[in-house]
Amino acid sequence: MNKVSLFDKLFKPELITLDNGHTVYRKRSRMPLILLIIFIVIFASIQLTGFNLILIIERAPKQLGAILGKIFQPNMDFLPNVFGPLIDTIKMSLLGTIIGCILALPISIISSSNINKNRISLSVVRFLLGLVRTLPTIIIATMAALIFGLGTFAGTVAITIFTFGVVGKMLFESIETIDMGPFEAMESLGANKFEAFWSALMPQILPTYLSHCLYCFEMNIRAASILGYVGAGGLGLLINERIGWRDYNSLGTVLLTLFVAVVIVDFLSTYFRKKLG
Amino acid sequence: MIDRIMEVYDARPKRGWLYCIVTAIIVSLVIWSAKGINFAGITSKGSEIAAGMLNGLLHPDMSLLFSSASDGVPYLIFQTIAIAVLGTFFGAILAIPVSFLASENIVGKAVSTITRLLILLIRTIPSLVWALVWIRVTGPGPVCGVVTQSICSIGMISKMYITAIEDLDTRILESLDASGCNTFEKIWCGILPQLYASFISSAIYRFDINMKDATTLGIVSAGGIGASLTQCINSRRWSMVGSFLYGLIVLVMIIEWISTKIRRKLATGQ
Amino acid sequence: MISFRNVDKVYPNGVKGLNNVTLDIEQGEFVAIIGLSGAGKSTLIRTINRMHDITAGTLTVDGIDVSKLKGKELRRFRRKIGMIFQSFNLVTRSTVIKNVLTSMVPDMPWYKTLLGLYSKEQKMQALEAIDKVGILDKAYSRCDELSGGQQQRVALARTLNQNPTIILADEPVAALDPVTAKMVMSDFKRINEEMNITILINIHHVDLALDYATRVIGIRDGEIVYDGPTSEVTQEVLDVVYKGNSVPSSKEA
Repeated sequence: MNKVSLFDKLFKPELITLDNGHTVYRKRSRMPLILLIIFIVIFASIQLTGFNLILIIERAPKQLGAILGKIFQPNMDFLPNVFGPLIDTIKMSLLGTIIGCILALPISIISSSNINKNRISLSVVRFLLGLVRTLPTIIIATMAALIFGLGTFAGTVAITIFTFGVVGKMLFESIETIDMGPFEAMESLGANKFEAFWSALMPQILPTYLSHCLYCFEMNIRAASILGYVGAGGLGLLINERIGWRDYNSLGTVLLTLFVAVVIVDFLSTYFRKKLG
Repeated sequence: MIDRIMEVYDARPKRGWLYCIVTAIIVSLVIWSAKGINFAGITSKGSEIAAGMLNGLLHPDMSLLFSSASDGVPYLIFQTIAIAVLGTFFGAILAIPVSFLASENIVGKAVSTITRLLILLIRTIPSLVWALVWIRVTGPGPVCGVVTQSICSIGMISKMYITAIEDLDTRILESLDASGCNTFEKIWCGILPQLYASFISSAIYRFDINMKDATTLGIVSAGGIGASLTQCINSRRWSMVGSFLYGLIVLVMIIEWISTKIRRKLATGQ
Repeated sequence: MISFRNVDKVYPNGVKGLNNVTLDIEQGEFVAIIGLSGAGKSTLIRTINRMHDITAGTLTVDGIDVSKLKGKELRRFRRKIGMIFQSFNLVTRSTVIKNVLTSMVPDMPWYKTLLGLYSKEQKMQALEAIDKVGILDKAYSRCDELSGGQQQRVALARTLNQNPTIILADEPVAALDPVTAKMVMSDFKRINEEMNITILINIHHVDLALDYATRVIGIRDGEIVYDGPTSEVTQEVLDVVYKGNSVPSSKEA
């Protein structure tokens, strides 16, 4: 790093002379500047949001405490009503994950710079993947619910799009670190790109791919649980309804069921991913 | 020679049935889940709405995109960033005591298990639900977003902190002991320099997530660009939806780019 | 027959890989190509199946002008030419037989490739190829459990399985220890003699080249400086090829 940064030009390094006449330059610390920037950013943020810590500390314990207290005393009589929406949530995330993962495979191949040498199509596809990931799932679900009507189909669409973006990105990053030797060998014996990819690279990425899919399924269960809030089916419907009625005990039941489902899915997914690794 | 080959061929591991079972399971899962999805076709208004959306994306409301008023895109973008900044900031600070209380090498097994359970509980409640609960305390608006994110960030940030704390190189404490440092000096000179880079990196990583989450929270009118976006979607003002979406896309892409850059710098040491 | 006529190869960055190369190789020859690293050995071999394009001159294989081939024609042309690599280029996670079977993929319909459906005949043929290189007992082992020499034999079996008339080998023994290197070289020799397959081999170790090949081509800075029978390779010839540097041998490794 021979280039002198702007900071070092503004604040000249201090020259330290030792007793024996040797000299050394000490760069000025950047810490005060960084702290100042952080302070300004925080101050501006407080102004922009109208945040008032004292008010929250005054109010929070009483009101929040009351609500949380009810949530942690789940109403077990409500439990039978939870299963239907829970199954819907699982179905939505399962189908969305599978479709999204299948769609992500070809896209990630086109997005890998070691396979696709065409710079234009590479950047177009990558931009598309990036674009898909910027949109929050719930916004997609809101729009899908308007187009396809309220219900689980809208949720599945949202989950599919989300999975497509996430798995596509993770997968092309894995493909780019792969050993291209077998691919070269396949090309040398007369295979086309698809054949070379499928028989030389697919066996290498398959475990990673499946692991990404399982990981995404884990995330999707959590994500799908709230989609019902905008009418896309599943547990979110109940969450919306119970909060609307201020029935926090039943809300606790919904959350407890979700918690159990998430733990089970996490456990299964971790188990299978270990097997793959 | 051909006999030898036959022998090897007949002794091949027969995995066919395994593949068949796995395929059968996956196919039946797909069928089972697909059956529950109620696809009623595009609703009669659906195609109209889709056309409206497309039209809105092609013709965004330009005046909104560059207006400096408090309902314009730039102001809302900054408000969204502000929510995420404050949420991450408070979350990162709150996570410090929590993560020390959850590190086995600091407080022992009993306390750390209880704290970890607490973290798990915080993480399980979806941020949207936290927002809906907080809204009763703060009322709708950006403040609700800030407090929600402060709480939700604790879970993940402290999980990352814990990893850093448990990886601490404790040999340096011995050498500081040997040079006669007191407890405070040991923490200040021996522990903090090891932790601060990974702490900052964790916080930035979470900031990235909070940026996207801040938009989601807008759904329950917790402020930021998401709130206005949802309002416009619900009232079918597609050209405004278009401009908010463009603002959102640019915002998220820039933040992702910057955060990757900073974290890479932290990882490689300036 | 492979014939080069005034072939040049200039890389996009301006480096000259081959300079006015003219040579003929008859069917069934065992040719070793020797030279310093970066002299153009690899380039020479890779132009034959057009893994690299030539920039001037003509290159024909059995009367086919290689530089005019496109897409499907090129792929069909490559079916007759096997290639062996220094780093084996195997899918190490897969079994030996799966690796060998991949060389049949280009002749299969796409849906069979997609599902990895190989017929019994194909499997028997693959096993036969594996038997020819003497590792039949490893047919259902994973490649990453095999030694380097065994892995290079898997690669050889994969190549044999496509029934080539020519085998191009790019430093096939450079990653192997001297004893294993000799074993792999004798495999090449046997295949050359028994099946009349032309073998072109890039080799760093001159002693191995002299022991196994029938013809030696010395290449220096992209130009052919020696081309003749192995028996006529003298110290003077090697001095020219290696610019007077010490001649690499497998014994010093």
